[in-house]
Amino acid sequence: MTQTIIWTVAILTVLGLLLALILFWVARRFRVEEDPRIDEVEKAMPGANCGGCGFAGCRAFADAAVKAPNLDNQYCPVGGDEVMQKVASILGLTVEKKAPQVAVVRCNGSCTARPRTNEYDGVRSCRVKAALYSGDTACSYGCVGCGDCVEACRFGALSMDPETGLPVVDEAKCTACGACAKACPKHIIELRNKGPRGMREFVSCVNRDKGPVARKACANACIGCGLCARTCQHGAITVTDNVSYIDFTKCKLCRECEAVCPSGAIHGVNFPKELDKEAVKKRIADRKAKAAAEAKKEVPNG
Amino acid sequence: MGKLTFSMGGIHPHDSKFARERAIEQLPLPPVVYVSMAQHLGAPAKPVVAVGDRVKVGQVIAEPGGFISAFIHSPASGTVKSVAPRKDLAGNPVVHVEIAVEGDEWEPSIDRSKQLVTAIPDDKAAILDRIKACGIVGLGGATFPTHVKLSPPPGKVAECLIINGSECEPYLTSDYRIMLESPKEIVVGAAIMQKVLGGCRCVIGIEENKPEAIRSMRAAVAELGYPGIAVQTLKKRYPQGGEKQLIDAVMRRQVGSGGLPIDVGAVVQNVGTALAVYDAVQKNMPLITNVLTVTGDRIPGNLQHNYRFRIGVPLSFVVEQAGGIPDTAAKIVSGGPMMGKAVSNLDATTVKGTSAVLYLSEAATRRRPETACIRCGHCADSCPMGLEPFLLNRLYKAADLEALEKHAAQDCIECGCCLYSCPAGVPLLDNIRQAKGQVMGVIRARAAAAKAAAEAAKK
Repeated sequence: MTQTIIWTVAILTVLGLLLALILFWVARRFRVEEDPRIDEVEKAMPGANCGGCGFAGCRAFADAAVKAPNLDNQYCPVGGDEVMQKVASILGLTVEKKAPQVAVVRCNGSCTARPRTNEYDGVRSCRVKAALYSGDTACSYGCVGCGDCVEACRFGALSMDPETGLPVVDEAKCTACGACAKACPKHIIELRNKGPRGMREFVSCVNRDKGPVARKACANACIGCGLCARTCQHGAITVTDNVSYIDFTKCKLCRECEAVCPSGAIHGVNFPKELDKEAVKKRIADRKAKAAAEAKKEVPNG
Repeated sequence: MGKLTFSMGGIHPHDSKFARERAIEQLPLPPVVYVSMAQHLGAPAKPVVAVGDRVKVGQVIAEPGGFISAFIHSPASGTVKSVAPRKDLAGNPVVHVEIAVEGDEWEPSIDRSKQLVTAIPDDKAAILDRIKACGIVGLGGATFPTHVKLSPPPGKVAECLIINGSECEPYLTSDYRIMLESPKEIVVGAAIMQKVLGGCRCVIGIEENKPEAIRSMRAAVAELGYPGIAVQTLKKRYPQGGEKQLIDAVMRRQVGSGGLPIDVGAVVQNVGTALAVYDAVQKNMPLITNVLTVTGDRIPGNLQHNYRFRIGVPLSFVVEQAGGIPDTAAKIVSGGPMMGKAVSNLDATTVKGTSAVLYLSEAATRRRPETACIRCGHCADSCPMGLEPFLLNRLYKAADLEALEKHAAQDCIECGCCLYSCPAGVPLLDNIRQAKGQVMGVIRARAAAAKAAAEAAKK
């Protein structure tokens, strides 16, 4: 009996030592050399694994960052500048500052403004719906309202507003990873610069139909009249295919376009004061009158 | 030979061919027609008329926009009012030529007599040119340009021309009516295509639920006496009119994944196309009219019609002429109930491939609420392509493109048998259609990359 126990213990001990030796040898022989900086960079990352940077996850981003000669083509939209500075300091590289961005829904065709022309009875998926037809309103370009963007968001920053039927972005939660913009089959979600103190101006419509058609489909549609582009002093607004677009890198947030827009398609958000449309319109009129007077003065001389 | 059918899957919803006794009526001309530039598979046509131009019936108003594309002719005489985007059936903008109708003045080269011309021209190239110049496209649904289909690539030989008279979708009766009313023209059209393809045999396949059409076509074949044309009775089974299914039924050959009918020596053309080919080659008549059925479930007989319409007539005009929208209609479908498209915009216009305006009642069209898949396998049993819809649905949800390709999501013909047979109301087709699109995208990207790599290697 005692002997059996001794034998068992002895065999197991020898076996254990032998296997330990083999494992030790294998670990030494087949060790994967990995840059320790990858771990460091990964620790500095937000760890959301959202794919917003274009890589499969934070580790893939770190791996690519360590291998790349510079960080020009890489940016973590979730961590923003803070994280990128950390990554750069770990790798001994420099990185340019980028303005923080946010997802912007460029459709304001709410249920009241955009009457339903038919009833959709299919799968609640924007992609499926958009593949079948242009949607249950007369607007072929706007939000189809099944919430694919909400499902795509990993940060809980999007929700559907039951009153308007449109998605709403929670700016505090949005990391500008761009997953929603990719998920939207109508391409109405755009990543735009957040702007100083979150203030920004944008055209909340992508309808490329001609004015009357767009207006008939939706009371809030951009009709491509070009009033905003003619008013803008900073050359920030262009009208292509009957729809206006504000270049956020040029916009000076003067809100003149918003004041003159006849359909209310231009939205300004996070401004401290409400827009006094009449005052702004008067300002524009005064400026024009002054310019006209000056032009008149110049003509007889020239 | 007895009745034939395809070997895998399929369903038979019901016949419901309520408009079968209605002779084809001529639909009058509306004040304005809108001719779409995207009426065929392939690149949209390029308009060659400008605003203010006067056009005659049958005049070319648009040229092919690519190799796979087709000529488009004016369906009416009058003045071009605009060439601008307009919403199609699904509400998406497509360029249309708007023509204000004035009188009915035809191109003098078109023979409008009813005289049957049986002598077929000898020059094959001339026949093909005529078919192309007349803008003939497949009228079985896919609207694939006919001249392309009738020109097999080098090294491929057509062994059998199949004329598709199966009309397997419920409700539709337009093909049935033309087989009753113009059987000889169809047979001459088939003989023309047979000649172009080098004298292969020709089988006209008709489903058993249309015995009058079978008799009428048999009589026409016997009377005209062209060699190598036979009428074959098929069992009634949807989707028999699908190209691959019809080849399977008639020739007992299977077209492989990603293959074309010509790979197994088959060319399939619809009876409507055969009639259009006859009109084009023998009468110099371009494709400016087609036949559509106005019908539906639970609607009175006086609202059911078969119309020969000018292509470009707005659907709203068709509906108005046919007696208005019945009260029971909850949904209007353009085409058959299985593969047709719901009409969200009645201002949309008719196109070359329009085959029906269908009013479906709430009961016939409302979707069942979706419940969990019970793995009964009805979808796999009914799939005529031998796919496993339940599996594809799951793989789509998991976004596993590799597995989707392995399980041949790209082979789906979107017939809807799976969705029809699913007792749990799972939206199988909706999801598989998405999956198919994504897989096709991957396959195309891969082919493009391979091509680019091959070119780079050449350099």
